[in-house]
Amino acid sequence: MKNIGLILGVALAVVAAAVPAFGTPYMMGVVFQVAMWIALAQSWSMLSATTGYLSLGHAVFYGVGAYVCVLLTGTIPFEWALLAGAVAAAVFAAIVGLPVLRVRGPYFVILTYGLSELVRHVVMRIESALGSFGRMIFDVPRTEVLMWWMVGLAVLATLGAYAIRHSRFGAGLAAIREDEVAAETVGVPVTRLKLFAFIASAIIPGAVGGLALLRTSYFEPAQAFDPVISFTIVTMALVGGTETVRGPILGALGFALLSELLWSSLPQLYMIVLGLTLIIFILFVPRGLSGLFGRLGRAG
Amino acid sequence: MAFLDIKGVSKRFGGLMALSDVDMQVEKGEIFGLMGANGAGKTTLFSVIAGHVAPTTGEVVFDGQRLTGLSPSRVCRLGLCRTFQIVRPFAGLSVAENLRVAALYGSGRKLTSTEVAAVVDDALEAVDLTDRRDLDGGQLTLSGQKRLEIARALATGARLVMLDEVMAGLNPTEISAMLTTLERLRTERGLTFVIVEHVIGALMTLSDRILVLDHGERIAFGTPEEIGNHDRVAEVYFG
Repeated sequence: MKNIGLILGVALAVVAAAVPAFGTPYMMGVVFQVAMWIALAQSWSMLSATTGYLSLGHAVFYGVGAYVCVLLTGTIPFEWALLAGAVAAAVFAAIVGLPVLRVRGPYFVILTYGLSELVRHVVMRIESALGSFGRMIFDVPRTEVLMWWMVGLAVLATLGAYAIRHSRFGAGLAAIREDEVAAETVGVPVTRLKLFAFIASAIIPGAVGGLALLRTSYFEPAQAFDPVISFTIVTMALVGGTETVRGPILGALGFALLSELLWSSLPQLYMIVLGLTLIIFILFVPRGLSGLFGRLGRAG
Repeated sequence: MAFLDIKGVSKRFGGLMALSDVDMQVEKGEIFGLMGANGAGKTTLFSVIAGHVAPTTGEVVFDGQRLTGLSPSRVCRLGLCRTFQIVRPFAGLSVAENLRVAALYGSGRKLTSTEVAAVVDDALEAVDLTDRRDLDGGQLTLSGQKRLEIARALATGARLVMLDEVMAGLNPTEISAMLTTLERLRTERGLTFVIVEHVIGALMTLSDRILVLDHGERIAFGTPEEIGNHDRVAEVYFG
């Protein structure tokens, strides 16, 4: 049960490997989506599940990555543009991290949301001042290549989240979650660890944003920094359960598949279902799918 | 030079002088008692020493190192750790895990996992919590949580431990058990303690020397006997 997160990750990689053999572009698109949400939810958990600082603004890292990537594609190979997106998101997190991480609880939630919205509007202003309402990208890599990259990021994020939880770093973050003052008193360098976690949780979303951009081959600030991305990440992680590494995987898997179904039949229902599921899980399944499965596993 | 040297420390909160020009020297291996009515400035002094609060004037020197201006985590890694009067366990982590964090971060050097496990076991043993190591910190009784506070300070490898009212709220049986534990820690480990205690009997029994504060000022200093016979102390305490 303990290593189910890793097992699921590997299983997903195997499925993805099988897909191009018999899969359609549609199937590859689904795998791309599922892997994307796993990568995002897992990255989010590196900060929010470990320290309890719930970020409601992770779209900002995705957006920064997408923006940097769109500015660079065409001038350098796309792999380097993705890397630049990840680095840009990390640098951005390092710059805003210290002031943002000074507040906690509901203030942190609102501040991260506000920050993400602020950046979205600034980028929209810049783009419209430059006279463009969106940027097309030509010559994007094949869907299969993009899918592989995304699966790679999902696996990387899962391994990263696993490594953090089982390290000295993760023990310090757990202490911060439980009682920040007590953590500081027994020697945990609280400010530094929080900043590292914030940066760690920003890197992969930066690259994910770049990949998602290449997949749609169109950049529009309102979409790249869409707060619904942040909401979805939080919902998936909470529905999956934040206590284990397998939680975000289960949440992302369940949700991405559900949304595929809904988008094809009843797109208007997507946000409604997202909201309802979140409410039901918070009220009745506070430890998420992961906790539910864990309990059933022990009972059976 | 004293092990812990507090020189002319004052702390002003707005119009209130919580501490005024306090001097205090703690020698290695002793149990140093701090006494005073509510609001006398004992907890503020703890907070200043541990780095939670910056003094308005004065400085704190520990084992030759200036602590003033350092963060609490840095102070801890230099070997000085405090406990909290209102206990602050990592409630969702097991007792052993509480101590593991302290062992991992408190000493300022990287321990191997074997060393960490040894430190944890040792700290559990020292406060008699070994049989409760797998309970969550939040599940312990108050007495257990007070012990956890002490164990966590020990697990950091601190050479000087400041105990803020570890007996408050305990019943007489628990108090006498706590006294035994603290006596044992002193004799077996050669640790230095600064203790704040409202249970006067316990303070008198444990302390080698006692400093009495009133409204942020030193009013008396000496052995428990001297303090017991001090006029000013009697006046402050018994009117």
